[in-house]
Amino acid sequence: MMAADTPSGSTTAAGSTDRFEDVDWDDLGGLGLPLRTGLLVAVSAIYALVVTTDVFLTEGSVLSGTDWLFVLTLLVGAFFVAWPLAENRRLTAYYWRRFKKNRAAVVSAIYLLVVFTVGTVGPWLIAKPELNVIAAYQPPVFVSVDSSVPSACAGAVADGMCHGTWKYPLGTTSEGKGIAKLVVFGMRVSMQVGLITMLIVISIGTVVGTSAAYFGDLVDEVLMRYVDIQQTFPTFFLFLIVTYLFKPSLFLLITIFGFLGWGGIARLVRSEALQRREEEYIRAAENAGASDGWIIRKHLMPNVSNTVITAATLLIPSFILFEATFAFLGLTDPATPSWGQVIASGRGDLDSAWWIATIPGVFLFCTVLAFNFVGDALRDALDPRSEGDA
Amino acid sequence: MSADPLLSVRNLKKHYPITKGILKKEVGRVKAVDGISFDVAPGETLGLVGESGCGKSTAATSLLRLEEPTDGQILFDGDDIVEHGDADLKAFRRRAQMMFQDPSSSFDPRMSVGESVAEPLAIHGMRDRARRRRIVEDLLERVGLSAAAYDRYPHEFSGGQKQRIALARALVLNPDLVVADEPVSALDVSIQAEIISLMRDLQTEFGLSIVFISHDLGVVREVCDRVAVMYLGEIVEVADTETLFSDPKHPYTKALLSSIPTPDPSRRNEGVELSGDVPSPSNPPSGCRFHTRCPAVIQPEAFDLEQAEWRHVLDLRLRVERGVDASDIREFLVAEGEAPTPEEVPDAAVARELRREFDVPQTLSDPNAETVLSDAISALVEGEHDEARRTLNDSFSSVCERDHPELESTSAGTSAACLRVDTERRIDPPPTS
Repeated sequence: MMAADTPSGSTTAAGSTDRFEDVDWDDLGGLGLPLRTGLLVAVSAIYALVVTTDVFLTEGSVLSGTDWLFVLTLLVGAFFVAWPLAENRRLTAYYWRRFKKNRAAVVSAIYLLVVFTVGTVGPWLIAKPELNVIAAYQPPVFVSVDSSVPSACAGAVADGMCHGTWKYPLGTTSEGKGIAKLVVFGMRVSMQVGLITMLIVISIGTVVGTSAAYFGDLVDEVLMRYVDIQQTFPTFFLFLIVTYLFKPSLFLLITIFGFLGWGGIARLVRSEALQRREEEYIRAAENAGASDGWIIRKHLMPNVSNTVITAATLLIPSFILFEATFAFLGLTDPATPSWGQVIASGRGDLDSAWWIATIPGVFLFCTVLAFNFVGDALRDALDPRSEGDA
Repeated sequence: MSADPLLSVRNLKKHYPITKGILKKEVGRVKAVDGISFDVAPGETLGLVGESGCGKSTAATSLLRLEEPTDGQILFDGDDIVEHGDADLKAFRRRAQMMFQDPSSSFDPRMSVGESVAEPLAIHGMRDRARRRRIVEDLLERVGLSAAAYDRYPHEFSGGQKQRIALARALVLNPDLVVADEPVSALDVSIQAEIISLMRDLQTEFGLSIVFISHDLGVVREVCDRVAVMYLGEIVEVADTETLFSDPKHPYTKALLSSIPTPDPSRRNEGVELSGDVPSPSNPPSGCRFHTRCPAVIQPEAFDLEQAEWRHVLDLRLRVERGVDASDIREFLVAEGEAPTPEEVPDAAVARELRREFDVPQTLSDPNAETVLSDAISALVEGEHDEARRTLNDSFSSVCERDHPELESTSAGTSAACLRVDTERRIDPPPTS
């Protein structure tokens, strides 16, 4: 079909500028994918290939299931958070100006960045802490305890007091494991649990919520009634049963809480998307001939992203706390060094070796608090209702 | 009208079902658009006017198939788009665009306006990002903005600027038809003029057909070649703009025209005022849908009342049909100090009050009519509600309630849907002339 009524004479061969009336729509074919989409497709393909090889073809896999999920999370973060932020510098700068008004949040963000980096990279650089009975109960550096507490004081002993050494900067546990190392390994566990679970929850929640709101009627009814059922499901007991039946692992924890915990987000997203759906720009896109998928991806999802991002940052600490609780109760894999586990192992020695339970506890506390601060600040920065005062 | 219309709408209907209960049982229908037909020639601007809620916007969205029409045909270049599958519909979307009323909500706040304008290009397969940008920058300049506007966000623009951008978005696919739904209603008058002249320039340049929806007759007169007047989901009159404004045939059109403020003080108070409320489209009046408010409603042959008098009598009758309680009037008169208790209010006072309420003269000019009316009122005052209703219905029923008028050509060469035009009988001279 040819566009009729192309004006003759009105265009005076305007050099190299493209004009809309000169577009020959019959000529337009696929000119290849845009860079980002192309790269995304390529990376997804490579990822799928590598994971398949690692899981099914290699003996004794290179990375654990959890680690592969973590890699996926990082890739998603790079493509859907970092890339758009780098592409829209002006918008990024605008959000940053609003975000940095909240000092506590900036400090929290820096802290989280450090925890994230150390937790991601650290476990590759340092050896896993080993059982070493001789080095048990060493106090942290700058701290001294009665020399009867450690079995053999690694540092200087003066006046019957054992002083901490730089060999064990944060002291050691009853098994002689360095707490500093345990904290670093615990950072990875916390970040993995928090970020991967969050990714699963918001991916499913956003897709379900926006689809329910956009399509309405039967789709809405089926999806949201399923959410109702899922929300009544006791995830905690399922986790107990599964860990009883199988070997407890971080992977199980993440998948169970990820795949059963998205109901709240789906509801939140749906109610937000219902409002957005009535906006005229959705109509305008329909009128331009956009498909349902296009409208959901390009208009509905970006416009509910404020809600999603804020909810996500507030979800992460709850998952971290869940993991810590289960580890404390001894419901997780004992080989996974988690903060909760270390806290549990130190709870009997609180009067003599207080640092064992306290130090990981402080890290847990700070991490949860930091996520909450960042979440609050993000909500303020992204909320369009407070627009204009920046 | 030229031989080959670009768009030809035939008997278009859009009904919204009213459902009830878990099983979604249909208990009624809101007939937002109920059988409208019109043609738009290439390069022509057709105005669609009417009060709020008369179905103009629904007509627009249904004729672009943004909402599925309940019934009817929409022929675009000879093809019925109601029958189109997905691929054909997408091809149609490229040739027919819409402009929206609210400039603030018609742009995605998350996209720069350049991206919003370029979006239709991307949807229709132009993958070359740089080329999209070149086209849109050029277009933004042609609607009176700078190319630098491409990277700015909607909240950085004023309403008038946004409507220019909306126009750019409607044009970017080089369509043949633009449906503009109240494109200037949200703007200041001075900005309205700018946008209108811009639309007109672009229309002449690209030979666009425009369906221009508005409730503002001043703007319509400025912009449109032809005008279709809608009332309660139906088109009641179609005419060339000049003819419509100088010689309106339908009483509703006359009423609309007389609502335009005139600067001439000697011509004030000549307007036709519509009585009564706009009826609900879920339960439209029988016969001519305008008969409940029409100032020119046709009298029965038996009477010869003043037109205004007849209108008031009919208002009274329609009210009685819905139920009038004489005791309420008594209570009211007690409150007014007419009598100490409702029982002591004289019947004559109730009758007088009833007539006053509906502006019916205490004695009608036609003695036959007066007899019937006073009988009915005394029955009503005595509480014989059914009898009063029967008496009124037997005598004071108009042909307008029974017969539904179709669009017929008038003496002025236009079309109007009015029984008076049908028969050309007893037309009162238009009060505005």
